[in-house]
Amino acid sequence: MERQRDFVLRTIEERGVKFVRLWFTDVAGTLKSVAIAPAEVEGAFAEGLGFDGSAIEGLARTYEADMLAQPDPSTFQILPWRGEIDPTARMFCDIQTPDGQPAAADPRNVLRRALAKASDRGFSFYIHPEIEFYLLKSTQLDAKGEPVPVDNAGYFDNVPGGTAHDFRRRAVSMLEQLGISVEFSHHEGGPGQNEIDLRYADALTMADNIMTFRTVIKEVAIEQGVYATFMPKPFTQHPGSGMHTHMSLFEGDTNAFFDPSAQYHLSKTAKHFIAGLLRHAPEITAVTNQYVNSYKRLWGGGEAPSFVCWGHNNRSALIRVPLYKPDKGNSSRIEYRAIDSAANPYLAYALLLNAGLKGIEEEYPLPSETEDNVWSLNDAERRAMGIQPLPQSLDHAIRKLEDSELVAETLGEEVFSYVLANKRREWSDYRAQVTPFELKQNLETL
Amino acid sequence: MSNDRSLGLSQLARFGFADLTGTIAKLDELVKLVGDAGRSALAALATSADPDQALIALLNLATAQPAKTKSLLKKDDSAQRLCLLLGASTALTDFVMRHPVQLELFEKRISLASAEEVRVQLTASVEPMLTQGFDVIAVWNALRVAYRAELLKIAIFDLSQADVQAGQPLVAAALADIAAAAIEAGLHVARAELKLSSEHGVFDADEVDETRLSVIAMGKCGARELNYISDVDVIYVADSASSNLEPQRAVEIATKLATRMMRAMDGTAAEPMLWQVDPNLRPEGKSGALVRTLESHVAYYDRWAQSWEFQALLKARPIAGDIELGERYVSALAPKVWNSATRENFVESVQRMRERVTEFIPANELDSQIKLGPGGLRDIEFTVQLLQLVHGRADETVRQRDTISAINSLSEGGYIGREEAQEFSGHYKFLRLLEHRIQLSEMRRTHLMPSSEQKRRALARAVDLKLNADTLIAKWEAVKIDVRALHQKIFYRPLLSAVSKLGDESLSLSSDQVRDRLHAIGFDDPKGALDHIAALTSGLSRRAVIQKQLLPVLLQWFSEGSDPDAALLAFRRLSEDLGESHWYLRMLRDSSGAAERMTQVLSNSRLATSLFERIPEAAAWFENSDDLIPMTAAELAVEFDAVISRHELVETAATSIRNIRRRETLRIAMGAVLGDLSISQVSQGLSDLTAHYLGAMLAVATDMNGSDIYSGDVADVLDFGIVAMGRFGGEELGFGSDADVMCVYKTRPGATSEEAQKVAERIISELRRLTADQVLEFELDMDLRPEGKNGPVARSIESYAAYYERWSDTWEAQALLRARPIAGSAELQTEFLELINKYRYPVKMAESAIIEIRRIKARVETERLPLGADPKRHLKLGRGSLSDVEWLVQLMQMQHGSEHPSIRTPKTLEALDAMVAENLIAEHDARVLSEAWTLASRLRSASVLWANKRLDVLPTDRKQLNGMARILEYPRGSATALEDDYLAFTRRARSVYERLFYGVSEENRYE
Repeated sequence: MERQRDFVLRTIEERGVKFVRLWFTDVAGTLKSVAIAPAEVEGAFAEGLGFDGSAIEGLARTYEADMLAQPDPSTFQILPWRGEIDPTARMFCDIQTPDGQPAAADPRNVLRRALAKASDRGFSFYIHPEIEFYLLKSTQLDAKGEPVPVDNAGYFDNVPGGTAHDFRRRAVSMLEQLGISVEFSHHEGGPGQNEIDLRYADALTMADNIMTFRTVIKEVAIEQGVYATFMPKPFTQHPGSGMHTHMSLFEGDTNAFFDPSAQYHLSKTAKHFIAGLLRHAPEITAVTNQYVNSYKRLWGGGEAPSFVCWGHNNRSALIRVPLYKPDKGNSSRIEYRAIDSAANPYLAYALLLNAGLKGIEEEYPLPSETEDNVWSLNDAERRAMGIQPLPQSLDHAIRKLEDSELVAETLGEEVFSYVLANKRREWSDYRAQVTPFELKQNLETL
Repeated sequence: MSNDRSLGLSQLARFGFADLTGTIAKLDELVKLVGDAGRSALAALATSADPDQALIALLNLATAQPAKTKSLLKKDDSAQRLCLLLGASTALTDFVMRHPVQLELFEKRISLASAEEVRVQLTASVEPMLTQGFDVIAVWNALRVAYRAELLKIAIFDLSQADVQAGQPLVAAALADIAAAAIEAGLHVARAELKLSSEHGVFDADEVDETRLSVIAMGKCGARELNYISDVDVIYVADSASSNLEPQRAVEIATKLATRMMRAMDGTAAEPMLWQVDPNLRPEGKSGALVRTLESHVAYYDRWAQSWEFQALLKARPIAGDIELGERYVSALAPKVWNSATRENFVESVQRMRERVTEFIPANELDSQIKLGPGGLRDIEFTVQLLQLVHGRADETVRQRDTISAINSLSEGGYIGREEAQEFSGHYKFLRLLEHRIQLSEMRRTHLMPSSEQKRRALARAVDLKLNADTLIAKWEAVKIDVRALHQKIFYRPLLSAVSKLGDESLSLSSDQVRDRLHAIGFDDPKGALDHIAALTSGLSRRAVIQKQLLPVLLQWFSEGSDPDAALLAFRRLSEDLGESHWYLRMLRDSSGAAERMTQVLSNSRLATSLFERIPEAAAWFENSDDLIPMTAAELAVEFDAVISRHELVETAATSIRNIRRRETLRIAMGAVLGDLSISQVSQGLSDLTAHYLGAMLAVATDMNGSDIYSGDVADVLDFGIVAMGRFGGEELGFGSDADVMCVYKTRPGATSEEAQKVAERIISELRRLTADQVLEFELDMDLRPEGKNGPVARSIESYAAYYERWSDTWEAQALLRARPIAGSAELQTEFLELINKYRYPVKMAESAIIEIRRIKARVETERLPLGADPKRHLKLGRGSLSDVEWLVQLMQMQHGSEHPSIRTPKTLEALDAMVAENLIAEHDARVLSEAWTLASRLRSASVLWANKRLDVLPTDRKQLNGMARILEYPRGSATALEDDYLAFTRRARSVYERLFYGVSEENRYE
């Protein structure tokens, strides 16, 4: 830590950095930023930077507003979009109470706790997300009240001279400059929809990376005169933006999900982990899919994973076990497909990890694989096969959440009660709306 | 060949041999090889640490080199030198076997060479070989052989000393000198390599010559107190000697030089490596540049270095290469070292140093560690370095590199008593001697006492021929205990010296010096602390004398507590109150457990501390934990009765009774803080105490002469009773709880009801007056009576009957669930209970009554909560806290009490258990409820204990949370854990409560 800190201070001097932004994430998953002058950085390392926590959603109760942001020097990066004029750098922060204890309400701390628990059991947790988002002309809606995409291309389409292509090239290069490796990027199913896959990393780094990623995408969009959105489902008729997440557990250098002799090369650990995710999926959905709008994606058909089941390469299942690449035992992984691009990655990953670990600890049996496209089954068939649906609305998800010891334990009581209150408020605001749908359906007939 | 058969086995044993029979044959063989000289070798062998090992080695040597061995054995003194070495070190024996020419070193008596002499010697061993095209491996070999020859000389000197312990520092210094000489010679080789070959890069010979490189030793080598085998910690400084050479280029060349020099020490060659040169104490450690310029070093220490890095510099000393450059380095950094004590995080660094003393020691090594652990070498070094850092800022004379000189100068400067200093350095030398002998044996870097009996025996003989394995271990154990005590004596005891005469010697610190020390161990107000120490130790009284003895330990305990300054102040007050009581002094002096428990109470409970100051004699209870058990109801009754019968006057009796309540509250508080009492013992104790307190005051008010309530005998007018309600009724009182009561009376035949009512009201107002206590608050709360605040304070039993018959609200029936008569005649109590049972356990509870209770509760939840309070944190009215659990239990008692008499109890937890037994509630639900209820109750009590103030809301202040967590026996720094536990327990309780109390299910739940 001391060496990294010294590296940061030296780099600031050498590169003539003019501003350092301290980043942290509130409970809702919004990135917060405080800019400080280089002269203040050393003090921030030593004592943290005091700020008024009550101004930040869910971070502090108003009566204990004083909080400290403690920069993590290992996350230091120069922000590429600032160019060479007034170079600006950023670091992620851990939030602490004035007596130096980790703040209960810091999402980064929630994930750290979950990772520490996994590490006590000898596991490290790796993540590889596929992040989808839409590029729009702007935030303005068209005459029909819908957003306007930048193009009308489809899956993997190469749009000659298209904005999206330039956009992705620029974004990928910026991400690489920030030390975030990109695995893959292509045009997705919807018009203006893009997907960028980040190369796997440990969960905390990845959660930081995702926060950075969102900022980079928004910045590049501004640069190119378009607008990027991670809203889970901006178009009724086009697919939503998910964040399919590949996960693996490692014990030292060995992939704990890999067993060369088992079916699909899934080890016992992997099977219990999947079973844990399946059993707890409904109660964590209010976090992995945290907005009213999230449920429009989950229940919007297409490939959306609406039902709690797993399959080998089944593109309609909640959990997919991807095709195994021969002689790459370390690539064994599972893909959780419910989570969307608007989730708070710290909280969502902490929950996925703990749900899986719970499965391992209590040796949950793995239900049998679902080979059919679950969407093509009828309700009775699904019931007969014991396939449960995920919550159908934020309201349902909140009800599952309320009773979850797993979520309360993982998030800590502070964050848990904040999330509940916040989501209840969102639902009750939503319920109070009279929607265009109702007006269209009812106004002229009733 | 003949042998002297008269040589008995027991004689061999006396000479120190272990293998007796085998020895005779070996001696025969030796005589065969070297003649009579072999016989005379016996005396020499007898002086060696391990005669058996020495004899075997001697045989091997005689076989290989008969002539030389013979000539050495012929003379007594050379024979002795040879046998001493052969018996003490297998590693050096092997060296002699490899290089028999070294045998000549045993011929003459050896004195230690100076640093300069060995430097010349070792450099000369390589210099002639450094010609064009030289073989570097051959040069390394020559260097290492020359080094080991010097090492052998030191070992021979060491082993032949008359007093090996006294000579230990000389040997350690000589070992540091030959290490420095080897490095110097290694630098010569490295320069030659760079100049004469291009294997490591092309360098101009002039450039190499113009490169200045200084090697600074740190750690033990820097302090000239090196072990026989040890890493040598170094730092490199480079510079250019001429304007032709860019400093950066000089650093580049110097880096090559340093690297090649290190290879000369540890690279592979026929003669094994010497030791590792460890450059990792350099700026930025492993990842930093190996060599820096002086400016770059200074810049680093100015800007980036941590306090502990300055402590490493304490021992820096230039040992090789460019000494002048090295001296500049040391003098540039010295001021920074000695100012580190003024740095902000100095106290932390001290704690870090202390952690190094007890750093992780594998369990199987715990008992055999000579270096680490309490009573080990590190313990001594910690004490010495701490004192140096505290006092070295102002006093240059204590700035010594090595431990022994540091102890001496600390003693001369008056910071350590002369006797302690002598003891301390004696112990240090003894432990270092053990370490030396163990390492010398096989030249292995170890700090562990050998485990085999054979090796321990050899070690004992190497230290002192008169010792054996058992006596050595006994001596070592005694030293360890002594060292531990000396830290106390040396660091804490002199804290008293500035303000009081210690009487044992001349040692005295100035108050500035003492303040520096106090500050270093965490006293925020060293000046105030000094005043307290002065007050506690001044004078010649027995108390002052004993406190002088005890304070050093107490100061250490206080400094480990949460608020050392406050605890010391409280101790002073206590001590002043107790004056010369002989039992107090005896307790302090004789029973250290008691004194430690006392510091714990003083630093953790303001309630106990404030009562303590009034009742100092309570200190006696620390001695015996039986004294901390609350008095039983029967014992209380006896004592209160005795007080009443002893006194003539109402006021003096009441004063005595109040004192008893304070004393007993303190007793319970102390037991609670020390963790001797469970929460149920605490609440039972407090409830009994409150009941008897009220009973006794009632007796004073009604029975004593001089009471002006009624001109005649009160008993002729009425039978007066008190009924405990609420938590008091349930015997669930905590510290700072109000006493909820109702009063009932029955008019005696012959008296009028108006008269009785008037007397009852006067009894109550007298009771209020008598029970009120300014020191330990007592609140008589009668709001649960019929009609609440608007109703009369006392009612006759008939009036109760009429009231409940006609007006009773459901909430009043509910309050009666916890009614428990505590005073009044037996008939009155029975009659009252029969009356209320009808209402509190109705045969059938009307649906409307159930709904009524639910509605009231729902309203209470929102209305009674103080404005702005967080419902999740309110201990009484909050989510899933006391009132949720209690209301649920009470509702169920009203619904089922008539049918299930076993659940009729005013105690919440008892009722829950009974309801589980009757299958009225699931066991899991009952457990969730009782956990939340218990934690909330304990927190309320803890807040009073800790802060002497009742909190209804879980505090958000971290310090307060930490304090309460300590009382609840959480580990230090558990504010967040406590908070999280409370929120989790109450959340679960709330969900059980909602389900059972409101009948909320998944379907009709809404928020």
